[in-house]
Amino acid sequence: MKFKKLLSLLAVSALATGLLAGCGGEEKAADSNVIKVGVFLPLTGDNAAGGELELRGIKLANQLHPEVLGKKVELVVADNKSDKAEAASVAARLIEKDKVSAIVGSYGSSLSMAAGNIVKENKVPAVGTSCTNPQVTANNDYYFRACFIDPFQGKVMAEYAHQNGFKKVAIVQEVSNDYSVGLAKFFREEFVKLTGDENSIVDIANYQTGDKDFTAILTNIKAQDPDAVFAPGNFTESALLVKQARQLGIDAQFMGGDTWETQEFIDVGGKDVEGVALSTAFDREKASTEEAKKFLDAYTKEYNGEPSALTAMAYDAYLIAVNGIEKAGTATDTVKIRDAIAATKDLECVTGMTTLDENGDPIKDVVIKTVKDGKFTFKDYVKAQAK
Amino acid sequence: MKKRDMILTIIGIIALFGLAFFVQEEMDSYIRRIVNLCLVYAIIGLSMNLTNGFVGQFSLGQAGFMAIGAYTVGIFTVPVEYRENIFYAMPMNPAIADIELPLWAALILGGALAALFAFAIGTPVLRLRGDYLAVTTLGFSEIIRIWITNAQSITNGALGIKDIPPLNDVRYIFLVTVICFVFITLLVNSSYGRAFKAIREDEIAAEAMGINLFWHKNLAFMVSAFFAGIGGGLYGALLGTVDPKNFLFTLTYNFLLIIVLGGMGSITGSMLGAVIVTAGLEYLRFFDEPLMLFGMDIPLFRPGFRMVIFSVLLMVCVLFWRHGIMGTREFTWQKAIDFVKNPLGFIKRKGAAQ
Repeated sequence: MKFKKLLSLLAVSALATGLLAGCGGEEKAADSNVIKVGVFLPLTGDNAAGGELELRGIKLANQLHPEVLGKKVELVVADNKSDKAEAASVAARLIEKDKVSAIVGSYGSSLSMAAGNIVKENKVPAVGTSCTNPQVTANNDYYFRACFIDPFQGKVMAEYAHQNGFKKVAIVQEVSNDYSVGLAKFFREEFVKLTGDENSIVDIANYQTGDKDFTAILTNIKAQDPDAVFAPGNFTESALLVKQARQLGIDAQFMGGDTWETQEFIDVGGKDVEGVALSTAFDREKASTEEAKKFLDAYTKEYNGEPSALTAMAYDAYLIAVNGIEKAGTATDTVKIRDAIAATKDLECVTGMTTLDENGDPIKDVVIKTVKDGKFTFKDYVKAQAK
Repeated sequence: MKKRDMILTIIGIIALFGLAFFVQEEMDSYIRRIVNLCLVYAIIGLSMNLTNGFVGQFSLGQAGFMAIGAYTVGIFTVPVEYRENIFYAMPMNPAIADIELPLWAALILGGALAALFAFAIGTPVLRLRGDYLAVTTLGFSEIIRIWITNAQSITNGALGIKDIPPLNDVRYIFLVTVICFVFITLLVNSSYGRAFKAIREDEIAAEAMGINLFWHKNLAFMVSAFFAGIGGGLYGALLGTVDPKNFLFTLTYNFLLIIVLGGMGSITGSMLGAVIVTAGLEYLRFFDEPLMLFGMDIPLFRPGFRMVIFSVLLMVCVLFWRHGIMGTREFTWQKAIDFVKNPLGFIKRKGAAQ
């Protein structure tokens, strides 16, 4: 009985603290000397790792650019739990309760799409960090993004494959992953167009997220003897795929997208992933802008190790949003802010000069990297052009 | 007595309708969204409670049935002119590309398809009991999801569907919720309902009394799938977008939580559970925000902390109420009147009864 009483006491006190905290929050809301920017990221659940990396970027950006229009920018961090229903509610909360001027996020296209209707209805602009599905910004005037979209990345890789003289390419896609399906589709179209040969794609194979054994797929591919294999997808599965391909004696060039750029990819793949090619948005050595230098300095001071492309992209998303507020000259008229964000042109960002096209997608340069001696290293640079 | 209860119920529903109108007209979109989510989760929770709580069959297929409903709404209500852009990877199957249905028709069609599917899998699967039934239903819900992922020309595969005409109308969803609740209440109180409960208590005895086990189980399973399909359809319309990853089997556990918390075998309990889980989690969100107490930043208050608090509260609930908040009891007007007349005496008597 005593235990039960103790527990109920605990519960009651927890709720009471909440009430106190709730009151405190409301007082803050009345403060008009700050400009609120909502941070809309998955900080718990399946996508928490990606969300955490992006939160770092946004926090760094906030440290380096803490003020706009002479007022302090306050981040309102909201967790969308990697869940779509939750994402929709939390976006509504940021707009209605916290009255944010703009929203930054999210990692994960489906989460951004769930928030899409809400930002559109309430006319509050949102800048996505790494939601690469073209549907996020399509038919939605209030959603923008800092990352390049799946079709663009797919086309760039097709161009790269063509330039390297590959004639026959096999595609392996992770069929349950929207990102992988999108990249594969646009790679195929572009590559067929560039080579002018309908049969240049020799095989399209599917696997599911979580698959471990790819021997069946790879045996088929081996029979076709392609020059290269384009296999965008999750890093663990992709690393295993490359590893098993090498064991089967397939020596084709493997190519992938920016999801490969994680330490786990190298850890799982080991020696076998040496020499693969992957597209990404950011490289330390090729960081050309002033902003990138500031970002890198601040990152090494705050955290250990190399910043991931996700962190850089989130940093840029914050810059785009804050720049929009500054250009609009207001923090309350969200429609004006939206127009200012839409007009973003040659904004100096970490991942290069950023211009948004009519869909709200950035036009920016792509970095091609490879794995050398257990490290991601710069390989090539593809200049931005309107696709 | 019965007449009085009937009148009170009707007055209660009208009052709630009034409340729904008030929420729709006066509240901001955040509150509306939470209320809508509570109602949709209540429908799905109730549908799950029918098989799990009333018939006592441990089924975990709700996410799959929801997926059928949500995708039916997604496929058939998206305006035709948007479809080409959405199905950019693979064009939509010409057989369905030009069919556009109003939301209510798509909801009913989704429910019917889910029920049809439930019949098809229920026929072999409902011969199993307990854990085996749970495992097979879980498996079937995953099969539905994987089929959706791969049927690209119909469902757009992993890319999902967006631009479903948004539904954030409390009155509409409330009306559907009332219909579901009234239907299931009538079903549970009919002779079918008594047969369901007999099956739950003892299958062999029920069979000996002449109850056709297979037919009754299958009926409950189909009705449950029908409402899960409708609930899923509303869920899809509420979010405006669906994709296969929404309907992972973990989604089912959300509803299992709702009915275990509310009470397995209680209709009002399902509603209560849905409100507590949905609105409660939102209410606890201040735990995720940084807290300054006496000029100190309390480090515990960071994103995710509310989940910890919520789990503790759940454990407290389970310790106090072994059978969920309502158990198999229901809200009745008599009890409510007794409580209003003499609150202390009511609690004491209830304590003595336990």
